[in-house]
Amino acid sequence: MAGRLLLRGCSAAMQLRGTAVVRPVLRTMASSGGIPTDEEQATGLERATLQALKQGKDPYSILKPKHYTGTREDPHIVPSIGNKRLVGCLCEEDNTAIVWFWLHEGEAQRCPSCGSHYKLIHHDLPH
Amino acid sequence: MAHQAHAYHMVDPSPWPLTGAVAALLLTSGTAIWMHFNSMSLMSLGMILLLLTIYQWWRDIIREGTFQGHHTPPVQKGLRYGMILFITSEVFFFLGFFWAFYHSSLAPTPELGGCWPPTGITTLDPFEVPLLNTAVLLASGVTVTWAHHSIMEGQRKQAIQSLTLTILLGFYFTFLQGMEYYEAPFTIADGVYGSTFFVATGFHGLHVIIGSSFLAVCLLRQVQFHFTSKHHFGFEAAAWYWHFVDVVWLFLYISIYWWGS
Repeated sequence: MAGRLLLRGCSAAMQLRGTAVVRPVLRTMASSGGIPTDEEQATGLERATLQALKQGKDPYSILKPKHYTGTREDPHIVPSIGNKRLVGCLCEEDNTAIVWFWLHEGEAQRCPSCGSHYKLIHHDLPH
Repeated sequence: MAHQAHAYHMVDPSPWPLTGAVAALLLTSGTAIWMHFNSMSLMSLGMILLLLTIYQWWRDIIREGTFQGHHTPPVQKGLRYGMILFITSEVFFFLGFFWAFYHSSLAPTPELGGCWPPTGITTLDPFEVPLLNTAVLLASGVTVTWAHHSIMEGQRKQAIQSLTLTILLGFYFTFLQGMEYYEAPFTIADGVYGSTFFVATGFHGLHVIIGSSFLAVCLLRQVQFHFTSKHHFGFEAAAWYWHFVDVVWLFLYISIYWWGS
């Protein structure tokens, strides 16, 4: 197995030396220098997260949630892949007691302690 | 297939942590058996199991990251933290040997003649091969940085050339240090000077070999197009480790070879 790897590596290196004279007509996919980019080569979940972030979306909650004021006009938007999601409200900064409640889809709900508005928004995961 | 809604990697069950632990047990007990009962069987078995574990575990990680795309940005961040913590632990490892060296050399006992270097020890000239070794490692630090920039700029040929040069410089250091060990006028058994010298420089040499191997794996992966211009953490980890090895040598050179001579 390791031998095969070494052999493939050696043959790739040999080809490299060989095609150095011939202009790289074969390398149409790779960027001009010969090292692939994430755009060309990223796959799986990594690709999904990178593509989504490029479009300004964050379906996998990588970034900090956006800040909302929590009023009726500007409720906290809670993305969810189902029709309900657990929400933990820190009513005030530095509170140590978190107020947990289920947020259901439909009309915005209010935190039972501080009254901030939360709205569930359905979103699909990129496959 | 049920999709996760988070960007982290829930790793599949793997046998390699267990085989690694068993290998560690066999290596340690095997070394003790070797030292007292003249049998290398247990130690050899442990070594084979360790090498098999290393190969297969890291092969699996490459499969998960490069071929399956599990190494999302948050996962990569975790790997970075991991490598930094590991290198930090290695710093503390070497700190212990420097402590031992300074403990013995700052207040040399009457048994040594009350002086450092101890009576009867012919030290190595710091301005001969050790200075060349310093230049070799510093140069390798430059070439590994060149390799990193080549990868980031998408220059495949340059990346391969500079990475190869880095590894060759590493081999050159190991070769030179091996010659020094062979030709040295003192041994590990020559009192506390010999002990501190060979244990500190010996562990450093082992880390040079480990670092060179890490870089060699990166070279193999680079040739096979594993790295992209933005995502090449395996290489970055190898480069961090290599810089750490270089810095340890600088401290060794200043403390043991130069001040201690």
